[in-house]
Amino acid sequence: MKKLMYLFIALFLTSCMPNKKNSNEINIYSQRHYNVDEIQYENFEKLTGIKVNVTKANADELIQRMKNEGNNSPADLFITVDVGKLWQGGEMGLFQKFEDESIFANIDPQLLDKNGYWVPVTYRSRVIVYSNERVEKNELSTYEDLSNDKWKGRLLVRSSSNAYNQALMSSLVENLGSEETTKWSESVVANFARNPKGNDRDQVKAIAAGQGDIAIVNSYYIGLLLSSEKEEEINAGKSVSVFFPNQGEGERGAHINVSGIALTKNSPNKENAIKLIKYLNTVKAQETYVNNSYEYSVNPNVKPDEIVQAWGEFKKDPVDLNSLGTNRNEAIRIFDKTGWK
Amino acid sequence: MEINKKYHSNSRKLILSTVLLSLIVILPIVALIISTVNIDTSNFKYLWNNLLFDYSFDTIYLVSITSFFSLLFGVLPAWYISTNNFKGKNIYDILLYLPLAIPVYIMAFTYSDILSYTGPMQSFARDYFPGLAGFLNQDYIQIEVLGVIMALALYPYIYTACRLSFSLVGANYIDLSRSLGLSRTKTFYKIVIPLSRVSIFSGLFLVIMEVLNEYGAVKYFGVNTFTSGIFRSWYSMQDVETASLLAVFLFFTVVLFFSLERFFNSRYNFNYKPNTKKFKSEDPSFSKKLVIHLMCLIPIVLGFIIPILFIIGNVVYEFDRIDFEKVLDLTSNTFIVSLIASSIIIFIAVYFQFLKRIIKNKILTVFNEAISLTYALPGAVIGLSLIIMFTSFPLKSEFLIGSFIVLIYAYVMRYMAVGISPLKSSFEKHPSSYDDTAVNLGMGPLKLFKSIHLPINKSAIAIAFLITFVDIIKELPITLILRPFNFDTLAVQTYEYAIEEMIPKSSIYSLTIVMMGIILLIFLKKIVNKEIDVSRD
Repeated sequence: MKKLMYLFIALFLTSCMPNKKNSNEINIYSQRHYNVDEIQYENFEKLTGIKVNVTKANADELIQRMKNEGNNSPADLFITVDVGKLWQGGEMGLFQKFEDESIFANIDPQLLDKNGYWVPVTYRSRVIVYSNERVEKNELSTYEDLSNDKWKGRLLVRSSSNAYNQALMSSLVENLGSEETTKWSESVVANFARNPKGNDRDQVKAIAAGQGDIAIVNSYYIGLLLSSEKEEEINAGKSVSVFFPNQGEGERGAHINVSGIALTKNSPNKENAIKLIKYLNTVKAQETYVNNSYEYSVNPNVKPDEIVQAWGEFKKDPVDLNSLGTNRNEAIRIFDKTGWK
Repeated sequence: MEINKKYHSNSRKLILSTVLLSLIVILPIVALIISTVNIDTSNFKYLWNNLLFDYSFDTIYLVSITSFFSLLFGVLPAWYISTNNFKGKNIYDILLYLPLAIPVYIMAFTYSDILSYTGPMQSFARDYFPGLAGFLNQDYIQIEVLGVIMALALYPYIYTACRLSFSLVGANYIDLSRSLGLSRTKTFYKIVIPLSRVSIFSGLFLVIMEVLNEYGAVKYFGVNTFTSGIFRSWYSMQDVETASLLAVFLFFTVVLFFSLERFFNSRYNFNYKPNTKKFKSEDPSFSKKLVIHLMCLIPIVLGFIIPILFIIGNVVYEFDRIDFEKVLDLTSNTFIVSLIASSIIIFIAVYFQFLKRIIKNKILTVFNEAISLTYALPGAVIGLSLIIMFTSFPLKSEFLIGSFIVLIYAYVMRYMAVGISPLKSSFEKHPSSYDDTAVNLGMGPLKLFKSIHLPINKSAIAIAFLITFVDIIKELPITLILRPFNFDTLAVQTYEYAIEEMIPKSSIYSLTIVMMGIILLIFLKKIVNKEIDVSRD
């Protein structure tokens, strides 16, 4: 019994030792927990010998942790999948600006942060998918048109607590103004086929199941369904087509959101951190992203995966991406006011 | 009374030690409460006016559905198995515990996949019974379905409590009631249930708390509980203070209900004499057997067999792509933190229960209850409260955040109630004459513990340890927010795949959680059965 006690105590103490400082490393707080990220870090480690340490959690939790840790935060980099959170971190003074402009060299200027606090690594579009059986492509046009009566009981979308929906609503606030957007949201809610729930894939499955005809989802989920190993999922993916809204002449383009990185204010391993950011924007690393996650590359010269290429090219909404953060609170209030659960 | 006098010289120090220990457990909540003083209440008012009514409605509805089905799945099988002889009884008895090894969110994701349009049930129907396919094609992502799914994962808390309690009620009461002409059913409602009230409630308390702080599954099902409100303000409105305020509000609501229950139940605090005689197990009639099998099989098949087969199917399917080294690594991570945290919990919980026995003191009772209440807070809020505590003035020590100390601290805080619950009923049920005799024999407190309380409560201590251990294996939100760099557990890995909608990939990790849980629960079962037998001797 006593021996067991000692064993416990020994175990406890060793496990409690704080990690030793090692100068040749980087500490990342990341919201991204895809396999492709692990591959990237491994490749980077092999290339440079710099060890990558990662803590993965929800973006807001990581932001809160950085805020409280203040100047003593061990984090060098913060990675998230929603530009709203990048903007917020910058606003809260958690990040530092990049001095070395060569970081931005290979990146589409439209995707860059006007304030210089973050660097995008990939982007994705929030698109409309429609049933091949029940919807003709020419019935679709813009996000605004989703408020049309003809979609009554046919539109599927996930809940308003989802950051991608919040970003979309923020972009509408930026483009149409609050009042217009509120009216739009009211009509859209009236068109819902069912209460918002499930994730993006579930919306596609619901179209396949006939519970609705069109859905708002992130582009890469269709790629994931089509590349699934389950026949039923591939079938569900095949039962719909991807439509990029607002592509007509004089229209602003489809809504996009970025995954991005920011350098923390007191990054203890700044040089290494910059090396990693540069690495992630090399052609090789960008190809690794697009081929594993069906996202789009921020480097205009890197082509997306074949599945994604098949949907064709599209015009991106040129709105300042930071506005997807600045309008967030207004967007939430519109969701609540109009009963978008 | 006797004891009080005897230990009077020591009791102050002992009480002080428990107060200190409780404060350590409760301190993060205090930090959380302090952080909400002087906040800008505009968002709180906004939520209050716009959303909290709906959220409260969903919360009450979900809690009611889950409680109803948990009681149905927990109490009735426990009663049948305790009082009837039938084939398969022993296997049922083990299987009925096992859903506890499946985390609620895995149960929810698994079922939503099974029931979905592309899932096995509907694909099968489309291939072989096209006529049925149309009927089965429903929207299963509904609050009612969620309630049942949660009950399937949580009813074992009630089953465990009932099995122990029913066996302790003793045959004397039942025989007496029967000889007074009450039927078995009436005996059940009029004698057994009231006598087991405290244990049933302690099981139900755990179930309700689990429902209240569940977030992942609830969000997926499009249900908004009170906890959704907390995360609405934190994640969506980026207002962590309002989130804290809501958490504090939830905490006090639970405290209020908990105290009310205690107050009303204290009238029933009878010190009944435990089992002196073995139940005469009945040999049920054919039709009753049918009912028994049905009532036992429903929770077993739905709560365990179907999900486990589904998970195993996915594992087989993904087998070639499994990184076994990683699985092993995460298993050992999970094992070590769970072991350390549950040991600490049991140590504290036993210490409290023992002192409560030997020193009858109000302060002690209050603190004893207070340390259970941290269970009312969602894991992520516990994580937040620790971050606030370790980054605010008197205890400022940021380097601790992201260390195992804080992670384990958080586990201890979160799962104290789970450890206390079985200990409490065990420590309470033994007659106080044991202590009096021991004291008259001149035993000191340590001796009294070692030679009386440790042996007679051994099983309860083991039960408490195992249940806590199983719960910590499954823990998710605290680990996510507080873990050190590069530290993953099985639950975290399962979740990361599941949330990216890659259920098959997550399966080997969830299966490992479930297997660990099953092994421990089978141990648990053995102990419980021994306990039941011992108390009959």
